[in-house]
Amino acid sequence: MASTASAREPGIHRSRTWRATATSGVALLVLVTVHMVAHHFVVEEVGGLRTYAQVLDYIANPVMFVIECVFLVIVTAHAMLGLRSVLFDFGLSASARRRLERGLLVLGIVTVAYGLTLIGVLASRA
Amino acid sequence: MSRSEDELDVIRAAREARGPVLRRSPGPTAWFDIRKTGTGHWAFSLNRITSLGLVLYLYLHLAVLSMLLGGEGSWHGFLEIATTPVFLGLDVLLVFGLLFHGLNGLRVALVGTGIATERQKALFWSFMVLGSILLLGAALHIIGSD
Repeated sequence: MASTASAREPGIHRSRTWRATATSGVALLVLVTVHMVAHHFVVEEVGGLRTYAQVLDYIANPVMFVIECVFLVIVTAHAMLGLRSVLFDFGLSASARRRLERGLLVLGIVTVAYGLTLIGVLASRA
Repeated sequence: MSRSEDELDVIRAAREARGPVLRRSPGPTAWFDIRKTGTGHWAFSLNRITSLGLVLYLYLHLAVLSMLLGGEGSWHGFLEIATTPVFLGLDVLLVFGLLFHGLNGLRVALVGTGIATERQKALFWSFMVLGSILLLGAALHIIGSD
């Protein structure tokens, strides 16, 4: 997350991460709405939840497949940026901040990789 | 306490500048400081708390969706638990977290980009009214789906 140049200019870095958080947050307003409505507010069976067959049908739709993949990437990025912001509130040293940023980057990559694998496996079963 | 003209200039410049609203890091213990009664303080604190709840939910959601890998039987077992009153109550709590964090976040993004900086309190309460209406509708839908 932190480049060498931005580490030297904390103001610019802070502004950049704020813009990334705000932009991903606005995108999530749309994506969460699509996700919630598609999964929980248009399905009548089993208490507004999709059955196994319905989940496979849903994820087999190429448009929904792409939307869910984009949603996963953006929600994970937003979550990691948010966690970074909360943990920075603890008043960490510069080196601890750098370690934390690297840790969150790895956690984010692992989360996206696992989620994409899950979506891919389910789509292959449809 | 009166401020000098120089201090007021700094405050005015900070208000007019675009970008994040900079705060002295108050630390998580300050989120629950009941001596601070301003709307901004509680909006900030609740935004932080809901953010942590939503990150926790992201990983719970991935864990639950992993049950789909176990096939139809595994998923059906989850569906039976997911329609219990306790679970439906947690769903309503989740929708509250999403609505508050989303709408308050939108307010912060608008104010941070220089939109409605002078009316952010009105914007906050307008979004909270909208959020309450949406929450009520969602709660009725969730409870009615049992």
